Amino acid sequence: MAEVRIRVASVGMFGMLLVATGVFLGGGSAVGEIVDPVGVLLWAIVIAVAHLLDVPTPSGHRINLGIGPAVAASILLAEPLDVAVAYSVGMALAWIVVQLRTSRLGRRDGDFLAETVAMAAYGLTFFWVLDAVSEDFQGGWEHLVSLAAAGTVWFLVRAIVSALVGLERADLSPRYLWLLALEDWTVVVALISAGGLFALSWPVLKLWAFPLALVPYGFSHVAFERYDSTRITYSQTIRALAQIPEVAGLAPIGHSYRTQDLAMAMAKELGLHPSEVTWLEYASMLHDVGRITLNEPAIIKAGYTDEDIARWGSQIVAEAPYLDHVSELVAQQYQPYRTPGTERDPDVPIASKIIKVASAYDQGVNEMGLSPIEALERIHQGSAYEYDPKIAASLRRVLIHRGIVAA
Amino acid sequence: MSRGLSQILPTTKHRFAVGFAGAGIATLALLWLVQEPPQPWWLWAAFAAAYAVFSWRSVEVNDRLRGSPGAMVTMTAAVVFGPGAGILAAASMAAFGLLTPEDVTGRRWFQPAVNFGQLVLSNAASAVVLAGFLWLADGPAPGWTLSAGRLWIVVAGSAIAALVQGIVNFRLVAFIVDRVYGQKMTKPWSHLIQINLGTVAMGFLGGLLGAAYLLVGSVMLPFIFIVFFTGYMAFESFAMLRLAQESTLKGFIKALEAKDLYTRGHTERVAMYSEMIGREMGFNGTRLERLRWAALIHDVGKLAVPRELIRKRGRLDEHEYDVMKRHVHLVEDLLDHIEFLHPMVQIAANHHAHYDGRGYHGAGHGPGETPSVEACIIAVADSFDAMTTTRSYRVAMSQRYALEELRRHAGTQFDPEVVEAFIAAIERSGRNFGSVLELTDEEARKMAEEGVAAMREADQVHGRDFPVAPLERREHSHG
Repeated sequence: MAEVRIRVASVGMFGMLLVATGVFLGGGSAVGEIVDPVGVLLWAIVIAVAHLLDVPTPSGHRINLGIGPAVAASILLAEPLDVAVAYSVGMALAWIVVQLRTSRLGRRDGDFLAETVAMAAYGLTFFWVLDAVSEDFQGGWEHLVSLAAAGTVWFLVRAIVSALVGLERADLSPRYLWLLALEDWTVVVALISAGGLFALSWPVLKLWAFPLALVPYGFSHVAFERYDSTRITYSQTIRALAQIPEVAGLAPIGHSYRTQDLAMAMAKELGLHPSEVTWLEYASMLHDVGRITLNEPAIIKAGYTDEDIARWGSQIVAEAPYLDHVSELVAQQYQPYRTPGTERDPDVPIASKIIKVASAYDQGVNEMGLSPIEALERIHQGSAYEYDPKIAASLRRVLIHRGIVAA
Repeated sequence: MSRGLSQILPTTKHRFAVGFAGAGIATLALLWLVQEPPQPWWLWAAFAAAYAVFSWRSVEVNDRLRGSPGAMVTMTAAVVFGPGAGILAAASMAAFGLLTPEDVTGRRWFQPAVNFGQLVLSNAASAVVLAGFLWLADGPAPGWTLSAGRLWIVVAGSAIAALVQGIVNFRLVAFIVDRVYGQKMTKPWSHLIQINLGTVAMGFLGGLLGAAYLLVGSVMLPFIFIVFFTGYMAFESFAMLRLAQESTLKGFIKALEAKDLYTRGHTERVAMYSEMIGREMGFNGTRLERLRWAALIHDVGKLAVPRELIRKRGRLDEHEYDVMKRHVHLVEDLLDHIEFLHPMVQIAANHHAHYDGRGYHGAGHGPGETPSVEACIIAVADSFDAMTTTRSYRVAMSQRYALEELRRHAGTQFDPEVVEAFIAAIERSGRNFGSVLELTDEEARKMAEEGVAAMREADQVHGRDFPVAPLERREHSHG
């Protein structure tokens, strides 16, 4: 249902925005007053194509290249009406192609809404600032100042709208989506620079402007592809490490994967910072890696506690310098929320408490043979002492959203 | 791209440090006399700062070769300041790559002095070449001017100049390594071409950025520094990826050591021996690194094997052997799903195979096949370490005896070429890796009996904390 609502809302708003942008930027002028119709059509096509290409970003998501040519067009077309029409036609073309290519109801509509609103905001800010500063700045600096201001507005508006569109999805906190969108600032700087560099150097350098504009984007593309491989390397390696106790028969098969899945859902639902979500992704996967030591006869004879498993696991993880924080999360996961008669320890990271709840729930369902509602009840009974009540409540919401437990 | 020396021996290093630093200062003094100071000074300072950051955070691409987008910055500056001041601007920047924060904290002065000299010389050489091209591109107007039609001369010139910088830099470093280490710095052509292509590309971009500044105006400056920043990110991401691979690998090795006390330090020693053999056999770059990593994970299959089996004295019975094999395969399968480890797992999985095709073969390798050279190297390194360290069933052998043993099985169990390379590498290093006691096998076995009894006792005393102990005593982990 939520997906359908996004779609209906976005299609309506999309159409309205197209009209509004054109009318507002053009000041009510007629289409016949377009100064450079060929240029407008050309830029519309470039914007549409760039919108259909997307690249990985530092946040682990993908961003489309549309803003690059949009920036260049705002400088080179120069007339507000031309620019508004090029943006509208470009976005419309891209939207049509997306609709033709995919029939499923995706999140693309929500993204499109965010993109359109942000691009309109860019155009408005650009010409408004340009008007204000063109007497004080010359030699291209007036364009630079305007595109820097407009680029910032574009970035913030896009982040806000992405977060608001995400409101329709009950399982994702808007705070999480907003912070996630902000993480992409480096790739946005590279894209806006590419557009600005091209537009400002084209009148003088002509064809040389192409390689020049490709440089900042090319470098960041290389960087982000590698950041992406880094992420893949971590997740693949961590998954393999976490599975070793499982294949060795020292931990139930699939427990670490299921714990991770549930923990991630709760973290996003609670609105943790995206970097904390990434650490949690690794820590929840590795929370039982300390079980590797469990085929040591001396250990089994002497007995061990959850705290021991957590400590051994965190020592193994600590060996990777980058994963220091993950090691800390693994070490703290056994901590009860509050022991009777004491104040609760405020230093236990929320991610560790999430792991504790996710792991206990999965244990209840998959090892103790409880039904989901029984396992959830068990967590609720233990909350306030063993488990953090806020996280127990989040677990309930996640399970309801997934349709595992009735509301 | 520039390369630095990682270490210089004390005997000749004074001479070299003074000589190179002196040559660098003399070059700068001469340029100060014949060139104008770069104007405006703050722009030069901004370029120098960018250059310094790049040099400090240069990235080890592989095997002692470090890369940074520094050539792009020097070429941009040399074009921006024109032929009259560009040589001084480019050469003087090298002074800022001279000290890294690590040098200051580690009180290392000789390496920076040598690097200062060779960077000034190579930067000056390339800027002189570029200045020639800049004169060629000069327009008819009085003073030095650039027109859009002659842009290509500048861009081509800076690409060639960057290549000159790379070649002079490599020659100087090779000279120092040759004289100070007594070691030939040989790189295969393919490697040099790959690195020089990168340098040429950096020069091309640097020239283009500088020319854009001259032709379009000062508005290009913010973009130039954004380009520098993205270039920095591209190199930094390379380092991040390597860190990710290396550190996750270390997690595996630690897990392995947590399980088995005797593995402690073993993997790192096997990696060291394998690297020695690899270098001796002319491996470099990616191949050497791959070998080192394969050596680091060669025992990772043991992670899932019950500890009683790993530590068992004597032969395993049929059932135990099957359990061991199955578990080793399971872990290798897991690791095979990690993309970057795939080639390493293929090597490591086969390190028990014999040169003549007998022995235990890993997944995907049939009996009768000759294992890869890499697998043979790890087999030799693994056996040497097993012989020269105290095991549950005997004490350490001497190095001499262990090497004889390797030679005796060369041609059957071990690859004779690998064994000879290992012996040569050990002789060259002048180190002794085995026990200082010259024991025969017989004597060693007897001593081991006592050692095992003592260890059994220790096992019971330490109780459950026993396997965790090596994790907490990290500072001793290097064998």
